[in-house]
Amino acid sequence: MIAAELAQQWRRPRTLATLGALGCFTFALTIALALSGGGDLQRVGDIPLLIVPDRAGASIPVIALASTMKFFLPLAVAIFAGESIAGDAASGRLRYALARPLPRSRYLLAKLLVALLLSLVAVVLVPLAALLAGTIAFGWHPLTAIDGSSSTSLHSAIVTLEPATTIVRLGIADAYVAAGMLSIFAFAFLLSTLTTQPFAAVAGGVGLTLVSRVLNADYLPGVAVLNSWMPNNDVDLWEHFLQRPTQTAGMSHFLLLQLIYAAVFLGAAWWWFQRRDILA
Amino acid sequence: MIAAELAKQARRPRAWVTLATMAAVPALLTLVIGATRPTLTERVGDYGSVVTNSSGLTLPLIALSAMLLFMLPLAVAIFAGECVAGEASWGSLRYLLSRPVARWRVLAAKATVAGIYSTAAVLLVVIVALVSGAIAFGLHSLTVLDIQHTTPFIVASAKLAPLTAVGRLGLASAFVLASLTSTFAFALLLSTLTARPFSAVAGAVGFGLVSRALDNVPGLHALSPWLPVTDEAGNLWTGFFTRPMQTVGIPHALLVQALYTGVFAVCALTWFARKDVLS
Repeated sequence: MIAAELAQQWRRPRTLATLGALGCFTFALTIALALSGGGDLQRVGDIPLLIVPDRAGASIPVIALASTMKFFLPLAVAIFAGESIAGDAASGRLRYALARPLPRSRYLLAKLLVALLLSLVAVVLVPLAALLAGTIAFGWHPLTAIDGSSSTSLHSAIVTLEPATTIVRLGIADAYVAAGMLSIFAFAFLLSTLTTQPFAAVAGGVGLTLVSRVLNADYLPGVAVLNSWMPNNDVDLWEHFLQRPTQTAGMSHFLLLQLIYAAVFLGAAWWWFQRRDILA
Repeated sequence: MIAAELAKQARRPRAWVTLATMAAVPALLTLVIGATRPTLTERVGDYGSVVTNSSGLTLPLIALSAMLLFMLPLAVAIFAGECVAGEASWGSLRYLLSRPVARWRVLAAKATVAGIYSTAAVLLVVIVALVSGAIAFGLHSLTVLDIQHTTPFIVASAKLAPLTAVGRLGLASAFVLASLTSTFAFALLLSTLTARPFSAVAGAVGFGLVSRALDNVPGLHALSPWLPVTDEAGNLWTGFFTRPMQTVGIPHALLVQALYTGVFAVCALTWFARKDVLS
């Protein structure tokens, strides 16, 4: 059932368009940097890390992850999760899928696993494609970054990472980003069981990142209490893996938070889907 | 026709809920800030900073800065995105268009009314913040610290008399409104394309998100001045509160807004004029 579902989703233009757009984005980014601004210091993230892109190909995955993690990656994840069941409902296939003599949980589980797999592909694709594009454009050199948080005007804290180390660190960072998408994934999946409009489920999933970003002390005074409980605020902590020494403060809290959000949303999705009247 | 449309929209709960939310947020902000942190500095825009308890006039600045990211674009997207798609989803669009009035006039009336409501939303934010701020902290002269030009040796700040500050607030509101026009026009275009109001509203909010996401990509800085929604252009209104007034970039930002608005409006008009109306 999972294999059939995977084959079906893989053939859909939406899947290829989403993944293709993410891949193209990294190449477009590399080309833009190669044409202009490649030799300048670029600020990456909140720390900030200051990186000169054309010194090392490995700088491209860092920049690509930093610029996709807040919107484009959540969008891709919300598309895969939000379309999974609502997409079937919208095309009128849901009732036939459920008419088979199988428990509904099996269908839900197959949908869940396939959507998870596709989301994971999206999150892994971005740094991989970026690494490929970056290495072609700027070569396989050690990554040098200035750590903006521990630098003063007299002394700049420079971090140099060997290519192999960089790749390991990037792998860990990417795993962290992937885990950070769980809450959005689960929420879009829950919406997907609730509505028959895929677009509404996708927009709702993206809406969760928005709520998370708006209820942020940087923008709205007085909501600092909520900061550490927001589903998507701390996803940018992966940048600390590139600092020296690596700082992991707050990460376990964020990962635990993701698990809690995922459990609540997925539990609600399962509970609702068991009882739902299927009209489409 | 505009008056009829205005009256019709005024009876719909959606308009009231949106406007009430727009009024509630600044009032709530005043409460939260007044109760928990009146003496702290609050950042306003990219390089401004104010201390709340020095004057109630700081509240409109904080409210505009906080709501420009999401709440104001959402309100504008709701008013513009629902105007045609709302009728289509009710099934009343075909009856509306069966009257002997040119389609472009229908769309123009709808857009005018949506524009009036959007303007009301922005003004409501500023006025509620001003009134609640004045009640909480009094109408003293406004001091804005210019972080960008402040060094350890000089504190760059501007002190504005209450009347001047209110005048500048008017200018700032006008600029904020102008910077929302591309979102408004895009929502209007989507509203003529779809029969689902939710899609039009979400699409217009997504429009701002995509633009902001592209703006934050290192290496695509060449694109930034031409994007419709960016933090930098959106925050230019804070320049009205520095001394001397900084207006660099404002004509360019207005030009970009006018370009996007024009293109979307023309698309909406041509599409709506020849659309097959099925609902």
